Amino acid sequence: MNLVKLFLSLMVVVLTGCASAPAKKDLSAFNTAAPRSILVVPAINKSLDVDAPNYLLSTLTVPLAEKGFYVFPVNTAKFVLEQEGFYEGEQIHQQPPETLAKLFGADAVLYVTIKRWDAQYAIIAATVTVEFDYRMVARDGTEIWQANQRMQYSPQNSNSGGSPLAMLISAAINAAIARAAPNYLPLTQQANQMVFVLGPNAIPNGPYRKTEQQ
Amino acid sequence: MKNNHMNLVLLLVCGLFLTGCANRGAIYQWGGYDAMLYQSYKNPEKTVEFRQGLELHIAKMEQSKLKVAPGLYAELGTLYLQTGDSTKAVAMYTRERDAWPESKGLMDTLINNVGKRTRTNNEVKS
Repeated sequence: MNLVKLFLSLMVVVLTGCASAPAKKDLSAFNTAAPRSILVVPAINKSLDVDAPNYLLSTLTVPLAEKGFYVFPVNTAKFVLEQEGFYEGEQIHQQPPETLAKLFGADAVLYVTIKRWDAQYAIIAATVTVEFDYRMVARDGTEIWQANQRMQYSPQNSNSGGSPLAMLISAAINAAIARAAPNYLPLTQQANQMVFVLGPNAIPNGPYRKTEQQ
Repeated sequence: MKNNHMNLVLLLVCGLFLTGCANRGAIYQWGGYDAMLYQSYKNPEKTVEFRQGLELHIAKMEQSKLKVAPGLYAELGTLYLQTGDSTKAVAMYTRERDAWPESKGLMDTLINNVGKRTRTNNEVKS
């Protein structure tokens, strides 16, 4: 009897645990369009780091393909766009999505705008921030999904030892490391994971994952 | 004894819970594709390693009869094209098209363009 109760209450935990997301956004437009393939185009860059769009581009294929979509090869797509004279994200985002989708034979186009990609330094602390606007548009030009995600990282100062001087030194070293090589990539990967997979606004599974999840 | 049983049930349910929520096992093996692409953007000299890395990974996948992840054949094809090897590029674009029907439109266009370009080059030469 007790076991049954325990089991039931655990089931509730399990069920709510998996579905504990805050109110889901309306995904009916996405589900109606039911894209099989996604074209990821180079991002608009509002940060000061000129390399940010390329670095971001390298992180988008894996989470989307693992979500079950055919993702057009991002570097090949970039190459094709450059052949057409499109080098900058701004230029590409201004093209009608229908035209881009047709050029590649894509069901949907993913546009990302980089809003933050920076590291801010105080004397003994550093904060690395990335923030992206994501927008997916179907081949007929209707927007089917959008999300915003910001991720921040401040090195934790391990207060080992406890002496104020030791803590100060360890904080200074952490800040120096973050300053020398701010590590944007893990933050960017986390942001992608949040919006595509884990967050309340995660996209539905594509055709190549349907068999494993409902 | 009863306690032991409870613990067992608890463990089992926890196990279910964890696998249930983590039902996101990878579909594909990527062979470091994203890291290699990142490195080649960071330092264009690494493009050679990117190409060799993809060659190795694809060979490994084909040897073990595993499906090559979407886009990898085509990315390798483009790297060949950029070094002037149109024959190998077309071979890779063809394999991408055969593996992924969604890529057919783009791959056909690429294959046709490469064909046209090499033909024009030959005409110029002769």
